[in-house]
Amino acid sequence: MTVVNHKKTTARAAPLSETSVLGWMHKNLFSSIFNSVLTLITIYVIYLTLNGLWSWGIYDAVWIAETRRECFDISIGGACWAGIIAWLDNIFYGRYPREELWRIDLGLLLLIVWMIPLWLPRVKAKVFIGLTTVFLYPFLAGYLFAGGGKDIFMQIMISAAITCLIGNSVHSLIGVISGKTLAEILLKLLGITGLAAKIQRNILFAILGFAFALAYLWQMSWDVESVSWVKWGGLFLTMVIAGIGIASSLPGGVLLALGRRSKLPVIRILSTAFIELFRSVPLITVLFMATTMFPLFMPEGFILNKLTQVIIAVCLFNACYMAETVRAGLQAISQGQFEGAHTIGLGYWGTMSFIIMPQALKHMIPNIVGILIGLLKDTTLVSIIGLFDILSMLRAISKDTPWLGLHKEPLLFGAMLFFLLCFAMSKYSRYMEEKLSTTHKN
Amino acid sequence: MTINDKIIKSEQIKPKKQFDFFHDERVRSIFYQILTASIVGWVAWYLSTTTSHNLETRGMQSGFGFLGVEAGFDVNFRLIDYTVGVGTYGDIFLVGILNTLYISAVAIIAMIILGFIIGFLRLSNNWLIAKISLAYVEIFRNTPLLIQIIFWYTGIFSLLPKVKKSYDFSGGIELVLLNNRGLYVPWPEAGNSLWITGVAIIIAIVAAFIFRRWAHKHQDKTGKIIPIFLPSAALIILFPWAVFLITGSPLGWNIPELEGFNFVGGATLPPAFLALFVALTIYHSAYMAETVRAGILSVNKGQHDAALAIGLRPSRAMKLIIIPQAMPAIVPPMISKSMDVVKNSSLAIAIGFPYLVAVFMSTSLNQAGHAIEIVGMTMVFYMSISLTISGLLNIYNKHVQLVER
Repeated sequence: MTVVNHKKTTARAAPLSETSVLGWMHKNLFSSIFNSVLTLITIYVIYLTLNGLWSWGIYDAVWIAETRRECFDISIGGACWAGIIAWLDNIFYGRYPREELWRIDLGLLLLIVWMIPLWLPRVKAKVFIGLTTVFLYPFLAGYLFAGGGKDIFMQIMISAAITCLIGNSVHSLIGVISGKTLAEILLKLLGITGLAAKIQRNILFAILGFAFALAYLWQMSWDVESVSWVKWGGLFLTMVIAGIGIASSLPGGVLLALGRRSKLPVIRILSTAFIELFRSVPLITVLFMATTMFPLFMPEGFILNKLTQVIIAVCLFNACYMAETVRAGLQAISQGQFEGAHTIGLGYWGTMSFIIMPQALKHMIPNIVGILIGLLKDTTLVSIIGLFDILSMLRAISKDTPWLGLHKEPLLFGAMLFFLLCFAMSKYSRYMEEKLSTTHKN
Repeated sequence: MTINDKIIKSEQIKPKKQFDFFHDERVRSIFYQILTASIVGWVAWYLSTTTSHNLETRGMQSGFGFLGVEAGFDVNFRLIDYTVGVGTYGDIFLVGILNTLYISAVAIIAMIILGFIIGFLRLSNNWLIAKISLAYVEIFRNTPLLIQIIFWYTGIFSLLPKVKKSYDFSGGIELVLLNNRGLYVPWPEAGNSLWITGVAIIIAIVAAFIFRRWAHKHQDKTGKIIPIFLPSAALIILFPWAVFLITGSPLGWNIPELEGFNFVGGATLPPAFLALFVALTIYHSAYMAETVRAGILSVNKGQHDAALAIGLRPSRAMKLIIIPQAMPAIVPPMISKSMDVVKNSSLAIAIGFPYLVAVFMSTSLNQAGHAIEIVGMTMVFYMSISLTISGLLNIYNKHVQLVER
C-alpha cells in the first residue's frame, strides 16, 4: 500500500540551533565539555589581558607631563604617553627644520591628490596617471624635500610633474562629473570636434606644450631652501626609503624574472646568479656592503651619500625577492597563453606586456603585497647603520634627559603604527585579489 | 568584395626565402648575449680597477693575513674558548658563526613547534580559539621584527629584577634563575662512564624503531593495532635511565650559586640571547602557523570525510590521512622559513648579541679594515648555508614526487 500525499508540505523554519545566538554559541564555543572549559579559560585570559592593557595603557596612563619623573608622580602603574606626545614631531619628521615641515606635508598632500583618481570609478586613463605617479612625482617631491638650486634637468622634470598633476586633477574632476576625458572636453570647448583626428591631436599637443611652458615659467620664480639629507628622519625617512623601494622593486623584479626565464643562456645565468646572491644573504649584510664597499667602487672624488647607498641596496635587495615572486606567477601561466599570443602575431615584449604579465601579476597580488609589507618592515634596519629613521627616533626618546629610560611606550607606539600600515596593506590586497579575480566561484 | 580582395592580396605576398641578417632570431639572440656579457664585463672591470686604485691611494692592505692578527676585544657569549689578547680575528669569525648557528638552531626548533601549535589552533572549531590565534598571527606578522627584538630586550629582559631578587622558576631551591643579567640554569658535567648511557640511548632508539616496524607488519598481517607510542617512550626513557643508575649516576650538575654580586657556575644565557630567541621564535611562528594552516587546508576535504567514514577516529584521521598529505605542502616553505630565521638572526646586532654580523662585520671591520674580505667572508657563509638548505629541499622534493607515483 502506498500513501501519496498530494499536499505540498510547508517548509519548516530552520532549527533554533542554526539561527539563534545560543545555537551559534553552542556550535562554536560549547560543543563539548572540553571545548566549554577551553572557551571559559580563554575568556578569562582575554579578560585579564585586556583589563591589564586598559588600565596600563589608557586608564592609568599619563598623557600630559613634562618629564618621566612627573609621569611616575602622577601614576606609577600606567604608561607614560606624554613622552611620545612631546616627541611626536621628531618621530614623524626627524630633525627636519621645524619651519620647513610644510614641505613634507605638502609632498604627502600632492601624492594623495595625484593618486586619488586611481580609485575613482569613472576616471579614464588610469594607467597614465599611475605611470606619472611613479616617474614624475618623485622628482617634484624630491625637490620639495631636498630643496636648493635646480639644474636644467630638474627644472624640466618639475615642470612636467606640475603640468601632469594639474592635468590629471582637472581630467579626474571632469571624469567624475561627466565620465569623459579632458581631451574630449577641450575639443568640445574649442568647437573643433569636426576636424581630422591628426589635426585634433596636434592642437591638443600644442595646448600641452603651452601648459608646460607656463609651468616652466612659473617654477622659475621660486625655489625652496636646501635641507641636507642628514636632517631627514623619522617616519618621513622610512617612507621615502620604502616608497622608492616599492616603486622600483616591481619593475626591477619583473625584468630580473624575465631574465631568469630567458632562452638566452648568458642573460639567464647572470640574472639567476644576481637573484640568488641577494636572496641568500640578510638585508643587513647588504646594507653594510653598501656603506663600506660602495665608496671603494666609486672613482675618486665621486662621493655617494649614505642615504643613496642605502636606497640602492634596498632596491636591489627587494627587486631580487620580487623577481622570485613574479617568476612563480609566470610559471603558473599555461603554455597555451604564450602560443596564443604568438599566433596573433605578438613579439616577445608584446606577449609579455599584454598577455602574460597582467595574468601573472594578478595571480601573485597577495605575494607581491607580502613582499612590499616585508620591505616596509625591513626599512627599520637602516637605523642599525646610522640613519635616523623612525626606529632610531623611537629609541632616542629613552636617551633624552627628561624621558630617560622610557623604552616600552615608544616601541609599542612604533609597533602600532607599523601594524596599522601593514595590516591595511594586506587587507587591501585581499580585496584587490577578489575584485580582479576572473575565475568563477562555486 | 573586400574580403576576396584581401585574400588575393595575401596570396600574392610570398614568404621571404633569403636570409635576413637583422631579423634572424639566432643572430639577434647572439647579439643580445654578447651585448649583455660585454656590459657586465665592462662594469666588473671598471669596478675592480677603481677599487684597487682606491685601495692603493688610501693605503689599505688586502689579503686574508688579518685573520691571524689578535682582535683585542671581548665577546660576552661564546661556545668555544676565546681569550682577549690571544684570540685572533679568525677566532672571532668562528665564534660569530657558532653563535649564529646556535641561536638559529634553537629558534628554528621552537619556531616549528610553536608554529604547528598555532596553525592547528587556527583551524580549531572553537570560534574563540581560532580568532585568538588569528590575532596572534596578524599582530606579530605585521610589526617589524627589529622593533620586536628591541622591545623584548629593552622593555622586558633588561628590566627584570636585580641579581639578589632573581625570579626562581624551581620553587625556591635556586636552580633555574632569571634576572637582569640573564637566565641561569644548571649545566651537566659528564663523568667518566657517561658514554655507556649514551650507547644505551642509541640502542633504545634503534630498538624502538625495530619494534615499530614489527608492530606495523603485525598490523598488516592480522589487522590488530599494537600501541606504539607508549612502549617506545618507555623503552627510550627507562632503559637508559636504568643503565645510568647501574653505572653509578656518572653525571654531576654545575649549579649556579650566588657569590658576591653575581651567580657563578651553571650555564648563563644573557638577556640579549633570550630577547633574540623569544622574538625570532614568536615572529617566525606566526608565519609558520599560516604555512601549516595552508598545508592542512590544501588537503581535499573529501579525504577527511572518507577517513571518518571508514571509521577512523578524528585524531587517527589527522595522523594517518591528513598530515601525510599536507606535509609536501608544508615542508618546502618550512625550510625556507628556517633559512629566514638564520638570516634574521643577524638583527641581533641591534641589541649587542655577539653574532657573526655584529662581531665580525661591524666591530672587526671598524678595527681592522679589509672591508672586501670581511664582507665577502660573511656573504660566503650565508650563501653556503642557503645552498645547503636549497640542496636539502631539492632532495626532499624528489623524494616526495617519487612517493606520489
